[in-house]
Amino acid sequence: MKQIESRHWIFGGLFVIVIITMVLNINLEVRVTPETDRFYACLDSLPAGATVIVSFDHEASSLPEIRPLALAVLRHAFSRDLKLVGTALLAEGTAVGYRLMTQTADEYGKTYGEDYVYLGFKPQYIAAILSMGESIPDTYPEDYLGQPYRDYEMLVDVENYDDIAAVISIADGSLTTHWIEYGASRYNIRIVAAVTAAMMTTYDPYLASGQLYAMFGGLRGATEYEQLIGIGGSGKRGMLAQSAAHVYVMVLIIAGNIIYFRTRRRKGSAS
Amino acid sequence: MNRRIAQIVCFAFGALLFALYFSQHPAARKLNATVMIDYWQIIFAITLLVGVLGFVRMTWGSIRKGDDRPYRIVSLIGLGSMPVLAIIWGIRGDSPFMWMFEYVLVPMQSTVFALLAFFVASASFRGFRARSAPAAVLLAAAILTLLSRSSLEGIVPQFFTEAADWVRGNPSMAARRAILIGIGLGSLTTSLRVILGIERTWLGGEK
Repeated sequence: MKQIESRHWIFGGLFVIVIITMVLNINLEVRVTPETDRFYACLDSLPAGATVIVSFDHEASSLPEIRPLALAVLRHAFSRDLKLVGTALLAEGTAVGYRLMTQTADEYGKTYGEDYVYLGFKPQYIAAILSMGESIPDTYPEDYLGQPYRDYEMLVDVENYDDIAAVISIADGSLTTHWIEYGASRYNIRIVAAVTAAMMTTYDPYLASGQLYAMFGGLRGATEYEQLIGIGGSGKRGMLAQSAAHVYVMVLIIAGNIIYFRTRRRKGSAS
Repeated sequence: MNRRIAQIVCFAFGALLFALYFSQHPAARKLNATVMIDYWQIIFAITLLVGVLGFVRMTWGSIRKGDDRPYRIVSLIGLGSMPVLAIIWGIRGDSPFMWMFEYVLVPMQSTVFALLAFFVASASFRGFRARSAPAAVLLAAAILTLLSRSSLEGIVPQFFTEAADWVRGNPSMAARRAILIGIGLGSLTTSLRVILGIERTWLGGEK
């Protein structure tokens, strides 16, 4: 009974801390890390009018982390006048990606079909990545809205990865690995990724080897990116709650260890 | 005899796809595209159908037996209603399908995901103890990582975030590389064993 009570106190404490930090408006500065800077520089260096694939390779569960990342990247891309081609390798990311793209496009006055097109979902991600390397119109004969691929003027010259400047994979799992293994190694397309914090270490070896050109992630990454593009978003707000939760967890770890060592010492002196 | 045919088909397609991956010949690329775009998608659709039928069969069996009946019924209603909504009203814009997706599925999944934070908090208090030297090292690395993924730059000395970056860039990366190389070699070996017929467990066991 005592153990259940302590757990409930811990849950309650976390709940209260997150609520308080979400209500308060504290301005915490974040240092922009070199990896986020590299991602930013990569998009920033692309010429206006270059076609970029944005792949929404995530599920709905990770939206609180993915949405600020995606919005920051899309805002940067639209502000640089890049032509965006949206895809999704997971079914759940399809609707989310479409909403995010149209929402951001509206902010920048971009027109569907001229500045961006959303191709939608294709099952079997490895097959989709490989077949897009051969022919994007054959892989997606129609876009998400059911219009023929060939009807869009911005896609007339886009046949395969040779006509794409980069692929931005917005992922919460290992799908970026497939972009690297099949897109980058087979077709030499430049892959950049915006991923959840938990997945960042997974991609570190690919980033270090250069197979993944640039990567940033997590709410911290989103906050850094928002700082770089000069537009505040939900990343900063979420980061505040996350930082408070991290401090809370650290305090719990330290408290747990103090209790553990005191109990051990007491047991040792008793015997 | 059936096993022999399956092995031959496996060898033929395994070797063909392996060769197609490296070939730049137009015929090979065309064949590759056909296999990737058409046949793989058809196989995927059939596997999806098999999965759905298996789920319905299993859930229906549980409902009849009375195991977790309310939850199973909700599962079946969910499985059945989404395709029906999509077929009748489509999946775009403000369709009922999208309403269900945005206001039922997304909040439910986000809630389950958010619950993890509560369990992590509880587990960190009760289980994350420096019982041994390796456990203490792990604990220190965890605290450094938590610090580095927070916006506490003005409060915490720069040394801690630099130390966290070092941990991520060196010991963590080395371990990750070893695991990835191991997975790669393991996948390669298993694939070759399957293609060459040495590994036959996928055929349903040895007799």
